[in-house]
Amino acid sequence: MLKMNKVSKTYRTDTVETHALREFSLTVDEGEFVSVTGPSGSGKTTFLNIAGMLEELTSGSYELDGRDISKLNDKDRSKVRNEKIGFIFQSFNLIPELDIFDNVDVPLRYRGFDASERSRRIEASLEMVGLASRMKHYPAQLSGGQQQRVAIARALAGEPRFLLADEPTGNLDTHMADSVLDLLTEINESGTTIIMVTHELSLADRAKRNIFVRDGQVSDGPPEMQFASAANG
Amino acid sequence: MDIGPIWRAMLKNKAGFVLIALQIAVTMTIMVNAFAIMQERANNVSRESGIDEANTFALVSVSFDEYDSEKMKVLIDEDLALIRGLPGVRNAVATNSFPLRQGGWSMALQLVPGTQTADAVGSAVYFVDEHGVDTFASNVIDGKNFTPEQVTWKPLDDNTWPAYGIITEALGKELFPGEQGSYVGKSFYINENDPVNIVGVVERLQAPWEGWSGVERSMLVPQRRSSEFQRYVIRAEPGYRDELMPQIEEMLANSNKDRLIRDVTTMDEVRKLAYLGDTAMIKILAFVVGMLTVITGLGIVGLASFNVSRRTRQIGIRRALGATKPAIVRYFMVENFIVSSVGLIIGGILSVALNIAMVEAFSLEPLAWYVIPIAMIALWTVGQAAVAGPARKASSISPAIATRSS
Repeated sequence: MLKMNKVSKTYRTDTVETHALREFSLTVDEGEFVSVTGPSGSGKTTFLNIAGMLEELTSGSYELDGRDISKLNDKDRSKVRNEKIGFIFQSFNLIPELDIFDNVDVPLRYRGFDASERSRRIEASLEMVGLASRMKHYPAQLSGGQQQRVAIARALAGEPRFLLADEPTGNLDTHMADSVLDLLTEINESGTTIIMVTHELSLADRAKRNIFVRDGQVSDGPPEMQFASAANG
Repeated sequence: MDIGPIWRAMLKNKAGFVLIALQIAVTMTIMVNAFAIMQERANNVSRESGIDEANTFALVSVSFDEYDSEKMKVLIDEDLALIRGLPGVRNAVATNSFPLRQGGWSMALQLVPGTQTADAVGSAVYFVDEHGVDTFASNVIDGKNFTPEQVTWKPLDDNTWPAYGIITEALGKELFPGEQGSYVGKSFYINENDPVNIVGVVERLQAPWEGWSGVERSMLVPQRRSSEFQRYVIRAEPGYRDELMPQIEEMLANSNKDRLIRDVTTMDEVRKLAYLGDTAMIKILAFVVGMLTVITGLGIVGLASFNVSRRTRQIGIRRALGATKPAIVRYFMVENFIVSSVGLIIGGILSVALNIAMVEAFSLEPLAWYVIPIAMIALWTVGQAAVAGPARKASSISPAIATRSS
């Protein structure tokens, strides 16, 4: 499904070399809900960027659905991102000039669906997140929780195999965070694989498996993490 | 095409786009009308005078001997015989003026005798002998050339006119509007009451004044003037002009010491001088249009660059959601195409309005139908070229920017 083997990512400037991931290895099977936690600067976001093909890895191998994607060109990477991966970002990343309908429409247009197919998918995904009545609203007219639901609808509209969530509740209050997590759990139960990066251990508890990252590598994690993993496992 | 969402997004952020659209509209309005003026001037400049300009030159002989009409006639005949006898000379004539010279003789022509009527037609008049037609390279398309017997000397104190004339086709159309058939044999009156019978029609021979609306109307009269001021027009065989000019100047100066030879000028120089104003106008307008186009292009580059900077994160998000690099380039290209189209539609309307006003105010030719579409294509191209750089820069934005904290 998703298999990273000894993946390294190094950022270089003229004077500094930063190893964000060091021989990072991880396998995620279909249907899993995996949380990735770790302290700031541990490499969580870099992992997410590599997993979502937002960045290229420096060395190692990465297979997605059995296909080595580390050698793909930009066009093919964009296509895989568009078709197989849905992104949920901490700051929602909706496009402020577009209404909700057009926001959800963005990845579908890149996919090349015709207008009626796009419309059907947009309505279905907004219906699923409970915002079908807000299609003509702009992001600024919605609450943070609603914006994140729109982002989830946008991620789901293309019916991706993976959902990559980067601190999806980081900008939400507790009530809204719970509601979003409930939604993610529901999505996972319907068969979508979810990898969620978070620094909050309480949110990681909602996942079926927890990965702790430290210094760019998968680590055993702190005692509470091991406990939580055991409890969920 | 993602025109719908791009258009809607632009409506949410109108100010910059409206300004650029207006700039494009103004540029197009000025460009189109400047082009119309330039085209009119260029048409003027490229008009044929009717004479063999590449091989023709003129000079002036000013005699400062005591004036004697008979002596002048002999001198003129001797001069012309010497000139015509030189190898390389095709023909020569003593005349009062020639096309593009800016100075000459004009008369009002009318179909009925008597006091000049309102419908009298103005025409340039060239005094020539039977060599005039060939020297001026005029193609007699109807009738015939003057015979030597028809050519007379015009005394300085005499105001009578010869009974024969050769007219240009354009003069015939103006004198006899709507009349079909040959002008040869028809008559008109010059100097109010002197009848002139048309013996020939030439295809083209411009008047000396290039800016005159009746520049194509001129006539040749078989008359010579025995004044001490003589203008010789010489038509050389191809390739002989430059060689003949100093040769004839020296020859005439030596043949009679009591005169001055001056204003030895090629027709190329005469044309250049005649159209100096037009060519300067064309250059100035071309410069203005060029500068405006560059400024508009820079405005588009500026707006596109600003939009790329302002939307760096949005571009990263689009890339993360599956946009390829060409898709990002296409987004900015389409956005520019929309802005340009709005500006060009407004510009098209303004161009026509300004042209109507200019046609009424300055009697310009109306815009040719193809000028506006050509200007639109040109400005669309400028817009697309201007936005290409910023668009390529936008496409290089990493999709990873989407996961960075805003």
